[in-house]
Amino acid sequence: MLDIELTINDQIYHLQVQPGERLYDILRRLGYSSVKFGDEHGKTGADTVLLDGKPVNSYMLLAAQADGHQIETIEILGEHPDQGWNKTGGLHILQQEFVKTGAIQCGYCTPAQIMAAKELLTREPIPDEFQVRDSLSGVLCRCTGYKKPVEAVLRAAARMRGEEVPDLEDPIRVPPGWLGSNLDDSLPPTKSIQVEGNTLTAKRVITHLKVSPAPDTWSQVGKPKPKVDALKLVQGKPAFAVDFERRDMLYAKVLFSPHAHARITAINTKKALEIPGVAAVLTYQDLPRVPYSTAGQSDPIPGPLDCYSLDNKVRFVGDRVAFVAAETEEIAARAVEAIQVEYDLLDAILDTREAMKPGAVVIHDQDDYVPFAESDPSRNLAAEIRIDIGDVEKGFLEADHIFEAEYEVPKVQQSHIEPHAVITYWDEDDRLVIRTSTQVPFHVRRMIAPVLGLPIKRIRVIKPRIGGGFGGKQEMLIEDVAAHLTIATGRPVQFVYTREEEFTSARSRHPMRIKLKTGVKNDGTLTANAMYALSDTGANGAHALTVTGNTTKAMALYVGSGSYRESPNIRYYADIVYTNTPPSGAFRGYGVPQGYWPVERQMEKIAQSLGLDPLEFRLKNSLQAGEIHPFSVAWSEGREPVPEMIQTNGLAECVQKGKAAIGWDEKIKDLNWQKVPGKPHLRRGLGAALVMQGTAIPYLDMGGASLKLNDDGSFNLLVGATDLGTGSDTVLAQMAAEILGTGLEDIIVYSSDTDFTPFDKGAYASSTTYISGAAVVDAANQVAERLCERAAVILNERKQGASYLAEEIELGGRCAVASDGQAVSLEDIALHSLHHKDQEQIMAVGSYMSPVSPPPFAAQFAEVCVDIETGQVIVERLVMAVDAGVIVNPLTASGQIEGGMTQALGYAVSEEMLYDEKGQPREVNFRDYHIFEAHEMPELEAIFVETFEPSHPFGVKAVAEIPLDGVAPAVGNAVYHACGADVDQIPITPERIWRKLKAS
Amino acid sequence: MIIEYHRPHTREDALALLSRPEPRTVVIGGGLYLNQVAAVGPLAVVDLQNLDLGTLKIKGKSLHLGGSATLQTILDFDPTPLVMKKAIQQQENFNRRQVATLAGALVAGNGRSAISAVLLALDPVIVLEGKDQESERHPWGDLLPLREQLLAGKLITEIIVPVNIACAYDFAARSPADLPVIAAAVSKWPSGRTRVVLAGYGDQPIMVFDGPDGMGADSAARDAYSEAEDQWASAAYRSDTAAVLVKRCLKEIDQG
Repeated sequence: MLDIELTINDQIYHLQVQPGERLYDILRRLGYSSVKFGDEHGKTGADTVLLDGKPVNSYMLLAAQADGHQIETIEILGEHPDQGWNKTGGLHILQQEFVKTGAIQCGYCTPAQIMAAKELLTREPIPDEFQVRDSLSGVLCRCTGYKKPVEAVLRAAARMRGEEVPDLEDPIRVPPGWLGSNLDDSLPPTKSIQVEGNTLTAKRVITHLKVSPAPDTWSQVGKPKPKVDALKLVQGKPAFAVDFERRDMLYAKVLFSPHAHARITAINTKKALEIPGVAAVLTYQDLPRVPYSTAGQSDPIPGPLDCYSLDNKVRFVGDRVAFVAAETEEIAARAVEAIQVEYDLLDAILDTREAMKPGAVVIHDQDDYVPFAESDPSRNLAAEIRIDIGDVEKGFLEADHIFEAEYEVPKVQQSHIEPHAVITYWDEDDRLVIRTSTQVPFHVRRMIAPVLGLPIKRIRVIKPRIGGGFGGKQEMLIEDVAAHLTIATGRPVQFVYTREEEFTSARSRHPMRIKLKTGVKNDGTLTANAMYALSDTGANGAHALTVTGNTTKAMALYVGSGSYRESPNIRYYADIVYTNTPPSGAFRGYGVPQGYWPVERQMEKIAQSLGLDPLEFRLKNSLQAGEIHPFSVAWSEGREPVPEMIQTNGLAECVQKGKAAIGWDEKIKDLNWQKVPGKPHLRRGLGAALVMQGTAIPYLDMGGASLKLNDDGSFNLLVGATDLGTGSDTVLAQMAAEILGTGLEDIIVYSSDTDFTPFDKGAYASSTTYISGAAVVDAANQVAERLCERAAVILNERKQGASYLAEEIELGGRCAVASDGQAVSLEDIALHSLHHKDQEQIMAVGSYMSPVSPPPFAAQFAEVCVDIETGQVIVERLVMAVDAGVIVNPLTASGQIEGGMTQALGYAVSEEMLYDEKGQPREVNFRDYHIFEAHEMPELEAIFVETFEPSHPFGVKAVAEIPLDGVAPAVGNAVYHACGADVDQIPITPERIWRKLKAS
Repeated sequence: MIIEYHRPHTREDALALLSRPEPRTVVIGGGLYLNQVAAVGPLAVVDLQNLDLGTLKIKGKSLHLGGSATLQTILDFDPTPLVMKKAIQQQENFNRRQVATLAGALVAGNGRSAISAVLLALDPVIVLEGKDQESERHPWGDLLPLREQLLAGKLITEIIVPVNIACAYDFAARSPADLPVIAAAVSKWPSGRTRVVLAGYGDQPIMVFDGPDGMGADSAARDAYSEAEDQWASAAYRSDTAAVLVKRCLKEIDQG
């Protein structure tokens, strides 16, 4: 042991540490919960602290290295301004601006970003945007796209210099015909750094939100309100899964398979168990064999049951072999190494094209495999889709031109900065508590019960704040590991994936090979579309059917023109096959981004080939309001489809506004614009893609909410909905506040806990604002009715002879107001109902299930610069104009778009998971798996085209997933415009462009 | 597993620790690369932060960079050649630059290291100190291929970088801040002597050309990477692009 002295936030600690202990471990042990684990290589920077004033990664430093040094964490910066009688100095200006600008989404990296920014502003009080982005380059953010954090730092810098900054609470109102950008000339001039032709950054921040007019009568909905959870996140409070500690906690590790396909012939745990501090080692021989699916979906799960907590066979590098629980992570890791396993190696299938060939090795040869629909494990077929709409063959015969091409999309990782993390323990009633970072707490409870041999009623799942999910946590993925170990030991167990384990053993987006055939007439009328997708579900079939089924929705946007519009001809066939690679799963967009790459590349090729305006051609054939969604008659995620009419479609206006914002008409045919002066090897290009997503799963997704009045007129809003950082808690609270006539600060949101909050299917399918929002509205309307009734009683008591009626009373300004202006405060109503007369608890439960899935629409644009000698592409600008119905909160919604576009940018140019001939992964860290960093971002712009969706009380549609759909094809089309390289595979790497250029 | 941590106050003490046969003992500068060596067996680490090896000086036509100088201090040092600054910014994010040392970057850098490539092109002298505290000087080009053997038990005390050499660096990657799949660093001395280094492949950057002028440098680059194929790029791409980048660097140097 070493004796060290650390000064942490001005407090001196004399500590004894092990030589190998990390500074991160010490800080966490001392309770500095703002310091987070993100990865093992210092790329995420979630572990950032200031060491002698400089931002460093505490996970990368030994505690002993910090001996004698000053350490600062965000806990020293600022705190809640009002703590009862203790009035504090409040939040630091940086914290205030992060809250105000919407720079916080999941909040997992927020303390790190703020500490990095603090160092910058100490060193450079007048930073330009490049300096801000450089200082944030050490902190990866998967949620925001960095635009709002950069904006927050610039605004904080200005305020710290004593300058005034525009108030985001009062955004610029723009007229309905407003089109262009709205740069604030008071900002520092654009700065850039050139790295031999590669622009690292050259963008400026737009300081005002662009909000198209929302109904002026609303006081909460449609307003850019700060997130309700921002205050705790900006202080780094212990809000995440493993920020919670239990006495006597054990730490879990898993022995993962080094082989892609093998049978375990012998396994010896004796040496592992002999290591002091090891509490349990579990193998397949110790656990009941229960087939299940990890897919967090409603009952019955539309997929095969082909997983086991532990099995005698491994099916990919990273598959589970054994579980260990020990007193420390280090002991658990040593125990994992001490487990002796003998494997009988089997042939591995690593290419989807080999999976269904006769004689191929069978990956799921177990007798207890439970198929779903057309699952056929003997052919390595997890799922099969055959959809025919109209008469495709006839459509092709009627076409003047047939276009056919093959496309390929990669396996990519959700890369939430918070890894999968769980703590399990028995409570005092011998009920198993699972505190887990999940998108689907209720599904986890239902699904894990048979795996553990417990009834559902003896399981409680708590979902704390989540550090990003993006579909990766729409699984019951690691909860069973900790739970089995808790059952085995009787003790609390914590299990957290390392970053490497996230890459080898978590989920990813389904890679696909796609053939697309399109018939078109000379005038640009589409006559038929046929797609075949060969989808790789990896070693398990979770989400296999439903993700790949959704891929077809890309084709649904284009129904054709004229008579074809009334009866479109569309065929979609898909085979979803097993391979010996890590299982695929849900990833934001849920199959739709895979479909838009081929569809939108193909639309572009057709337009270019026939000399058509690419955007007019698309609009001519696109689905319109008043028409039946073609796939609603043929597909509903494995359930009975119900025809659905499109009620609202702002796509044409999205195109118009997006074109104007990116300068389409000025640039698209300007050869001079395409050239870069002094750089003959560079060419600029513009590209676009039109996209459509869904909003929830009709006749299936259900959300619930309960609302309770408190003594002071505030409300507890309990929702089963799962805020992953998206801001859903905030928009749900805004809807409740709007109906209850109160402020957001009087809605106390809690989500979610299977014991206390109503059921909600969870955060997926872009459903929360729409489905859970409608449930909140239902509950709020019931409470509002009771408030008005009670107000009438009070008013009648106050004025002798009065006869106020509840139906004549409205809620507003934290009061119930009668038509004559007489008002009762919500506090008075609460006291009256709880204490004074005819006592009752005013509360209500609402729930909602939708019969429709109204699609949002968007036009996405990309501006690129291509090096025609090396093939390198720099994406310089992304614009998205979106019709997502009424925008409840422009701050959070624009953040969703910016962050979504950034994830999609990685899908377009840099993200890809590949495996060698033995199934070993190429990417196991963020050095090789490159997600975009703050200092290399293109300019991002989000534009809202608001429609009022009549199926929702506030007219909303979804916004969370649609940003993922169109960036890749827009970039691909822009590359084609720039240099003629017709790339059909993403990511669009330099070599892929170079090959196309060489071939041409 | 790290079983010992030492923070010596003298080089003599540091070298004594490093020369022990057991336990395996290594230097940590910033500690960023510790993960690469700490996973296997018991390990002792020697932290150099008290040895005053982080100084930066300009002496005549040379930049004298202490082995423990962090990448950020080098980036902030005005006389540092612009090409080095660009390589540092491309390779490491802001946080990592605060603790990563130049010596550490050279010791641990692989074939995709921009810093290692640029330094190889600039032909620096690496000053080592061994057990007997005798100073050794090696051109980085000689040391690089044998660094594991030659650096065992020794300290990199100084890196001497000539500043009268024109140097350019260019690369291709999936994004501006991504690791390069192909990179070229080209240096040109006042005499016309030209050196070409390629990176983006293999265990280390390689010097592919060192001639009295730049004639044939692009062809040499093309040939040097004609078999440079791995999961990240084909040899055909690397070979062709290497020649392009070298020509571009030469042009940039000639244009001043």
